[in-house]
Amino acid sequence: MVDLVQNTIDGLMIGSSYGLLALGFTLIFGVMRRLNLSYGPSVMVGAYLGTLVYVQLAAGPLVVLVVTVLGSVLAGLYVERLCFAPMAAGAGVASMVSSFAIWMQLEQAAVLVLPRHTYPFPPLATADPLAFGPFYLRVDGLIMLACALALSAGVQLLLYRSRVGLALRATINNPVAAHLAGIDVRTAVVFAFALASAVGGIAGYLVLATDQQVTPMFGMWATFKGLIAMMIGGLGSIPGAILGGLVLGVVEANSQWYFGPQVRDLLAYVLLFACLVLRPGGLLGEAPSRQQDTGRRGA
Amino acid sequence: MFEVSDIVATYGKIEALKGVSLKVESGKITCLLGPNGAGKTTLMMTIAGILQPRRGAIRLDGMDLAGLSPARIVSRGVALVPENRLVFPQMSVRENLLAGAYQRRDRAGIDSDIDRMYARFPRLKERREQMAGTLSGGEQQMLAVARALMSRPRLLLMDEPSLGLAPLIVAEIFEIIAELNRDGTTIFLVEQNAHMALKVAHQFFLMEQGRITFSGTPGQLAEDEVIQRAYLGSRRAAG
Ligand SMILES: Nc1ncnc2c1ncn2[C@@H]1O[C@H](COP(=O)(O)OP(=O)(O)OP(=O)(O)O)[C@@H](O)[C@H]1O
Ligand SMILES: [Mg+2]
Repeated sequence: MVDLVQNTIDGLMIGSSYGLLALGFTLIFGVMRRLNLSYGPSVMVGAYLGTLVYVQLAAGPLVVLVVTVLGSVLAGLYVERLCFAPMAAGAGVASMVSSFAIWMQLEQAAVLVLPRHTYPFPPLATADPLAFGPFYLRVDGLIMLACALALSAGVQLLLYRSRVGLALRATINNPVAAHLAGIDVRTAVVFAFALASAVGGIAGYLVLATDQQVTPMFGMWATFKGLIAMMIGGLGSIPGAILGGLVLGVVEANSQWYFGPQVRDLLAYVLLFACLVLRPGGLLGEAPSRQQDTGRRGA
Repeated sequence: MFEVSDIVATYGKIEALKGVSLKVESGKITCLLGPNGAGKTTLMMTIAGILQPRRGAIRLDGMDLAGLSPARIVSRGVALVPENRLVFPQMSVRENLLAGAYQRRDRAGIDSDIDRMYARFPRLKERREQMAGTLSGGEQQMLAVARALMSRPRLLLMDEPSLGLAPLIVAEIFEIIAELNRDGTTIFLVEQNAHMALKVAHQFFLMEQGRITFSGTPGQLAEDEVIQRAYLGSRRAAG
């Protein structure tokens, strides 16, 4: 029982970073109705720039964070420009396939610039875990959880209380109608990519600073965790993304403890499968419905 | 005055508009009739900037609109109420109206215009916090009209506002069209319901297979035999 609770605590903490990755994914999916497989790899590029300034210039954690986030945003916009902007509405598969190609390109670029396999990251927190009776709370995990909740609340506020948020939601609802209302849809899409990449960059920083290292595999890892958490929580829902991340984290932490790492990954997929069968829209997502006719030009 | 001249628009190899020219008088209601697939929606979407014309000019009071982005066209004073309404289903009625005013920055003016919309469409007021996707078809049409009006257009384009609505609601929509026009808005509307259109419109155009094949006043329209048969249901043909 003690183990179960402790695993659940640890799972919530790592799961909050999955939730942030899912949040970015869901923003891009919302405006584009397409999967951006290069989402994780663009965060990886940001993280590589982060470790570069850390190793080469001995930059402090704050600088590393800023560089990681800005790098993720630039890489995210690069992906948007190459894989999403030129594709006609309805060419969703073309965008997905080209985002896969860019994934390979970004990974190769990272390996070329920094050929060794792992690079260090500044630690998120060096304080000892806080003890509560038999339970331990890692300080970096607490920071991660707090950041995830604050960021998702911030994004939710931005979407529902600001002018640019209105433009984004209108674009998500119906791009043609958004054009007709006088909304600059292109700007809204670029903003969505930038925001998603910034959230992903922060999530990436939190995870890597907890591990204190980054590898080229991080891109794939981030895409998978974000994608699975998004699908569990529900496409297009911000609270859903966070919830999906937390659920995934808790299930992973417990299965890792009780059954080992192979079964952990297997169970993550079983969980996803069960969600898709029982609640195809995800835990908090809209039930999938026939896409309403959005007219001719799309975004 | 609003004028399109020699507009050509294509979908891939299909030429949907084959050189369309027409004029819309300021302060009047102009109606575009035509069978399914004639290209009426294509023309509306082209004017609104959603589709780019291959050729031709679109002018509002001398300003050239062709090639501008849809948002620029809205800010120049042209708003389209699209076919099938296209409200933002997961946004509230109020947010739909706010989105319609996106090009405007005058907060106070926007708020007072929202109140004016609520006065004109009381059912929208009752449902202002309701998601637009849950409104009835008629209410969604009212919302689509109100959303377009929020940009304070000089020229209001409407693509089949009566589509799929019950006769009573259609009458209400046409009453609103006449009212808007009395208040000074120029209206250019696509309508299949020629009987309703005859009650309000000042000028008619007929489009067939991407071309304008008739233009005239309501009187001339009612006299034209071919149109009689196709759009008004001639007694001879019926009897
Ligand atoms: N997205 C599209 N891709 C290819 N062809 C299209 C597309 N949209 C319309 N068309 C074609 O262009 C022509 C004109 O269509 P349009 O929708 O403008 O007609 P319409 O007059 O509005 O018809 P309706 O009265 O049925 O609304 C039709 O032949 C149609 O098949
Ligand atoms: Mg049409």
